[in-house]
Amino acid sequence: MKRNEWTAIRANLFKRRWITTSKGFIPAALLALLAVAIWQIVVVAADVPAYIVPSPAEIMAELLAESSWLAADLGWTMLEAVLGFLIGSCTAFITAVLFVHVRVVERAAFPWAIVLQTIPIVAIAPLLTIWFGYTLVPKVIIAAIICFFPVLVNTTRGLRAVSNQAMELMNVLSARKASIFWRLRLPSSLPYVFAGLRVAATLSVIGSIVAEFTGADRGIGYVIVQASYRIDTRLMFAAIALSSLAGIVFFHVIGWIEKATLRWPEARLDED
Amino acid sequence: MSPRDVGSGIVLDSVGVTFGGENPVIALEDVSLEIPAGEFLAIVGPSGCGKSTLLRVVSGLLEPTVGTVSVHGKTAEQARSDVEFGFVFQDPVLFPWLRALGNVLLPDKILGKRNPTHGPQTEELARRLMRDVGLAGFEEHYPAQLSGGMQSRVALARVLIYEASTLLMDEPFGALDEFTRDRLNLQLLDVWARARTTVLFVTHSIQEAIFLADRVVVLSPRPGRIVHVATVPFTRPRPLELRYEPAFGSLTSRLRSLLETDGES
Repeated sequence: MKRNEWTAIRANLFKRRWITTSKGFIPAALLALLAVAIWQIVVVAADVPAYIVPSPAEIMAELLAESSWLAADLGWTMLEAVLGFLIGSCTAFITAVLFVHVRVVERAAFPWAIVLQTIPIVAIAPLLTIWFGYTLVPKVIIAAIICFFPVLVNTTRGLRAVSNQAMELMNVLSARKASIFWRLRLPSSLPYVFAGLRVAATLSVIGSIVAEFTGADRGIGYVIVQASYRIDTRLMFAAIALSSLAGIVFFHVIGWIEKATLRWPEARLDED
Repeated sequence: MSPRDVGSGIVLDSVGVTFGGENPVIALEDVSLEIPAGEFLAIVGPSGCGKSTLLRVVSGLLEPTVGTVSVHGKTAEQARSDVEFGFVFQDPVLFPWLRALGNVLLPDKILGKRNPTHGPQTEELARRLMRDVGLAGFEEHYPAQLSGGMQSRVALARVLIYEASTLLMDEPFGALDEFTRDRLNLQLLDVWARARTTVLFVTHSIQEAIFLADRVVVLSPRPGRIVHVATVPFTRPRPLELRYEPAFGSLTSRLRSLLETDGES
């Protein structure tokens, strides 16, 4: 009884929290507006040179003026990010399934997954560029590497987040391993998987941009590097704003897919 | 009790269960029981007397440390893999991503052709079972949208769908209010009278045990040992009013005193 009351209360909290967060973007938007306004006023009032800090209005103008080719670069970066995200997440998911079913694999491979995680990607990126040139490949690999770990850890945890009694229920029904996986482990892991995917989505954009720094002939990272050579801060700010926007959009796309997939109440973890 | 009955029933022979570790806990000690097929056996005892452990041993979920268990002439493990058991846990253990009806149908989905009721009419059966336990109209609700009592009833409908020959019930109605509990007790007796399954029913409530069972096993805590096995003399069908009869009351207090004296020793 007590336990069920608690779930009911939690469900209620979740609901309320969801309402507050869905309307909750308003304070955040107001704060951003305020910050932009202050920025604009300070830059204009103090007469800060545009090559040091451009005003928001100038950045906006730059964005609009250069929008056509900036959009092409953004598209290229997002292609790298999404490909890396898909490859990294799928590999991580399969690895997690292996970890959960074959303990030896986990013992053998998990320490190396941590090692992979601790190697700074900025250190691997130039190497990959030497191997694969100014192509798509090193960017996709970097994005995939950066997505791998959060998805691996979350999926492993999710696949294990099965209560003993639920396992006993399956055992009493003499369920086969495949049946336990499809009917119990996989659905109960999905909220965790999506939590990992949301993190991976934003990271993949960062990964592909960082990879572009080390050698590219297009993409947002390339734009930033080129603009920095020319001390074109307006363009740099425009590129930064675009890449951040792209990350946010990717994050929310995953959120929408999650909402469409996980239909049952209380399914989603860390709602905000 | 004829030997033929015992052979087709459940036999526990000096079963003991010790949970290991540095401070081993004896959960069950020297438990011997013969449960003829079709008997309704209740097991009562205070918390920590190994009631749940006993059910897990019978169902083959847990290997006893010593002693043997035989179910319909097979080992418990064999009987489990032949899906002879229906287990109702303390918690409802519903899958939150399945609607109530989906949860009731889960055993059928897992068992497929191994389910004796498997076929095009299975869903109709699931709907009927849900009506029987008073859940008509809640088929499409998710577990999180149901009260605790309703969740327990979904769990009951779920175990009934595959007509297991032995029902193991671990305080299945512990979370329910008295009225719902009474109603489900009657329904359970009804199901049992029709299907003649063997039932092992663990409960805290001595009254519930006597009302339901043919025999009541009284367990003592730490280590879990059989203190007494009482045969319930009342004829069936038993009306709910039976519980207010003097004979019922005196049996209740006799069993209660057994539990209390043992608790002091």
